Amino acid sequence: MTTLFERAAARLRERRVDGGFGPSPGLAPEPEPTAIAAIALDDRDAMAWLSDHQRADGGFEILAGPAVTNDAATATAAVALGPGAARERALDHVIKYRARLTPTNPEAPHDPDTRGWGWTADTFGWVEPTSRAVLALQLLRPSAAAEIRDGLSVLADRECPGGGWNYGNSIVYETPLPPYAQTTAWALIGLQGALAEPYGRGMTTLARLWSAERGGLSLAMTLAAFRLGGRPEVPDVERALSDELRRTDLLGDVVALAWTAIAAGPGLERLRSVAT
Amino acid sequence: MSEPIDRRTFLTRAAAVGAGATALGLGAGTLIPRLAERLRHPWDADAFPPPGSPRVAVLRASSYDGDLEGVVLDGLRAVGIEVDGASVLLKPNLVEYDPGTVVNTDPRLVAASVLAMRRLGAASVTVAESPGHRRDTQFVVTSSGLLDALTAVEAPFVDLNTSPLARVALDTSFTDLGELWLPRPVVEADVVVSMPKMKTHHWAGATLSLKNCFGCVPGRVYGWPKNVLHWAGLEQSIVDVAAAVRPDVQIVDGIVGMQGNGPIQGTPISAGVLVFGTDPVATDATAARLMDLDPGRIWYLSQAARFLGQGDLELIRQVGEDPERDAVDFAVLPPFEGLKVGSDSGGSVDAGQA
Repeated sequence: MTTLFERAAARLRERRVDGGFGPSPGLAPEPEPTAIAAIALDDRDAMAWLSDHQRADGGFEILAGPAVTNDAATATAAVALGPGAARERALDHVIKYRARLTPTNPEAPHDPDTRGWGWTADTFGWVEPTSRAVLALQLLRPSAAAEIRDGLSVLADRECPGGGWNYGNSIVYETPLPPYAQTTAWALIGLQGALAEPYGRGMTTLARLWSAERGGLSLAMTLAAFRLGGRPEVPDVERALSDELRRTDLLGDVVALAWTAIAAGPGLERLRSVAT
Repeated sequence: MSEPIDRRTFLTRAAAVGAGATALGLGAGTLIPRLAERLRHPWDADAFPPPGSPRVAVLRASSYDGDLEGVVLDGLRAVGIEVDGASVLLKPNLVEYDPGTVVNTDPRLVAASVLAMRRLGAASVTVAESPGHRRDTQFVVTSSGLLDALTAVEAPFVDLNTSPLARVALDTSFTDLGELWLPRPVVEADVVVSMPKMKTHHWAGATLSLKNCFGCVPGRVYGWPKNVLHWAGLEQSIVDVAAAVRPDVQIVDGIVGMQGNGPIQGTPISAGVLVFGTDPVATDATAARLMDLDPGRIWYLSQAARFLGQGDLELIRQVGEDPERDAVDFAVLPPFEGLKVGSDSGGSVDAGQA
């Protein structure tokens, strides 16, 4: 009987295009799916694709226009690249391009002294890109203490009342925003024990959320967070994810498929960090 | 529609006119006056035909059960749409799943619209969306019931977050974005149908067919929840994105809408209507009036009414129910009290990053 990892890895390999991976079948490669697939499969071609598409400033962008540069995949690409100059340039980029300090406001309050990382350059810091950067720096550049501390402060500030994470602010118009499984899982993967109390509340929250949020990406990231955290729910989540893969093929979402292969396979060990 | 011209031809012609005008604008001696004109009118007038006097139909529908397909057919015929042989893309508002409220365009209405479009001769009907509040599209599509509803009518769903993209130069400059990456399924469809939920919105006042176009902007470029657009100015982005997408047809789900802290955390309110149109400004102005909101006080709608469509209720040919007589009192958050019909002050807020 094939394992979930074997099935996901086989499906993922079918999605390879020109050495990399696009966001859905047949599309040209982009940094995020390529980086996640490279980690999942320990894929040398995907790593080479990343090296070939790194900008001179060390960043990875998916598309750019005069006013938009999405370089949020850079931290994940740094993890995917092997040791060497390309990885170091990517980490330099992560450190250099944090989000902008943003004044708080009464409608959507937040700590104005923290930055974190945004989806696009020079904007607001969000939970998912901040978690990616915290993970990469804790794993590969622990000497970046100030930047790691800032990222942890953002995650502490954005924790939802009661635990877990939404995308950004935890309260809008005095109304608490609910935590989501996928964003909570990302924060937990980024933290891996740092901020012990929010981490613990996040795990408890995710244990409550996951069975109601059965999308492929949510389940895959939940499985990764639970395996890294040594949670007892791992077999149940793995079974649910396996069912979704069989039933829906995760709607062709390559990022969800690659996260499935990470969560169920040996690639997860590349994400295991020691909390600072 | 008075002139039988397909969407692709129209947009190609409009783009060609816009490119020509831009080239002329670079000529010596004309640049400064043109820039000044651009500040006063942040759109390329050649790219947007005058709005005329469009029809908007308000049809009664008290529930999602019964002959919804028939009501949709009546509504589409009332505003004179022609989709014979066309590829049709239905763009519902699918933001989030919360079993306790009514965030999304009801899947039964989407399925009924698929069937109605086929009855009207559409060559293909696709349903597409890039959910704004959830990266996990599969979760929203499945939990909301949309996937099952589409399976029942054998209609495909396309995740616009993971679709191939086309770079589209903007004919408007309410933001400084200059261009947008839009999914090819949207750009290449003959007919794009914006199918919003009738909701209040805690940054923009109301979210209707214009704001629903945000869902055409892919999260993998602009982030979740599309923060770049908020950063560029939410209301300004609504105008720029809607002007780039230019939905050909609108079907507003007002059977049960959302009031208060919309678009996610408000409460259900039964308005008992569906609104149909071919001019998104006219449709939204009518829908806003049905929500007891003054369309002229919704900033993005008033700006869109300057060039994108007809915002003057006196010039919109209303079919079916009377939007003033049948208006329902949608509650709004305190900063938006000024949007209510008859209130003393106007305006909306753009708080930013949440």
